[in-house]
Amino acid sequence: MTKAAAGNKKRVQVRYYKLRNRLKEKAGGGGGARGTIAADALEAAEAEFEKMAEDYPDWVQTHINELYTFHRRCVDTPEDRTKLFKRVNEVAHDMRGQGGTFGYPLISHFGDSLYEASRVETVLDSHVEILKAHVDAMNAVIKGRVNGDGGEVGIELRKTLETAIEKYSTAE
Amino acid sequence: MRSLMTIALKALGVGMIKTADDGGEAIEILRLMSTDPMKAGVMSIDIILSNWQMSPVDGLMLLRWVRRHKESPDRFIPFLMVTGYADREKVMEARELGITEILAKPFSVQNVADRLIQVIERPRQFVHTSSYFGPDRRRQEMPYSGEERRKLTEEDEGVEVVYD
Repeated sequence: MTKAAAGNKKRVQVRYYKLRNRLKEKAGGGGGARGTIAADALEAAEAEFEKMAEDYPDWVQTHINELYTFHRRCVDTPEDRTKLFKRVNEVAHDMRGQGGTFGYPLISHFGDSLYEASRVETVLDSHVEILKAHVDAMNAVIKGRVNGDGGEVGIELRKTLETAIEKYSTAE
Repeated sequence: MRSLMTIALKALGVGMIKTADDGGEAIEILRLMSTDPMKAGVMSIDIILSNWQMSPVDGLMLLRWVRRHKESPDRFIPFLMVTGYADREKVMEARELGITEILAKPFSVQNVADRLIQVIERPRQFVHTSSYFGPDRRRQEMPYSGEERRKLTEEDEGVEVVYD
């Protein structure tokens, strides 16, 4: 059923689609302050996240250990570096997305930095060292349970990593 | 991110969640859904939540396929992009390709719930012009203060309004 269908004198330049809200019908109509999501469901979801946040340091430690393994393998088998750095990039991507959600924005910050640092076509010795500096920084955050911005410790960790990146970036 | 989002959605009461490793796998599922829903493991999809940064097919490429490809099973499907990108240029790029909502990382359960409510409770009409297809980029309830670039109204001859 269209307005223009009756007398289409001019070529249609803009078409607006006003669709039925099937998603709302499916979600049960809704209403209330929280819209279609019940307050108790939201509370349950938040509780689930809080529980995960408690486990986050242990959980992220497995990623850190994985990165240490990738680093060792980069040192031992240089011919595999390109493949290994692809894996490093994937892990870094996950870490940067999760840290902030669980109260560890420094992990997100270092994860983001590692994500960018691991996007290289040819992996040089300096890149492997930069990887190590990132993993050490993240390990320090988790071992010391440095949550939030980390205050003085956070500033120190950021500075240490930046110095390492600068040192190895100019090394080759 | 995917496991985190799955947990959040399930806890918020979303019944069925189908996941894909990257945009390419998502496209395969969507394509298969039209031809062989049993094999696809899904009959219909109500909303897509996609990470922006994925490899080899990223969220933007998936969005483009959903909105423009002739094999897309539903070009009107709400598309929520999850991203760490905060710069305006990136957001505008996604907007021009027909994104429904953006969810910034890191996200909380409340952020996810807010975006879902936005999609469910306040859907926007779709606009199709020679250069754009997607949700109306001008949110109806918000006053527009920029230069008026819309030359036609719904009453003009060059405008067609489609209801379903």
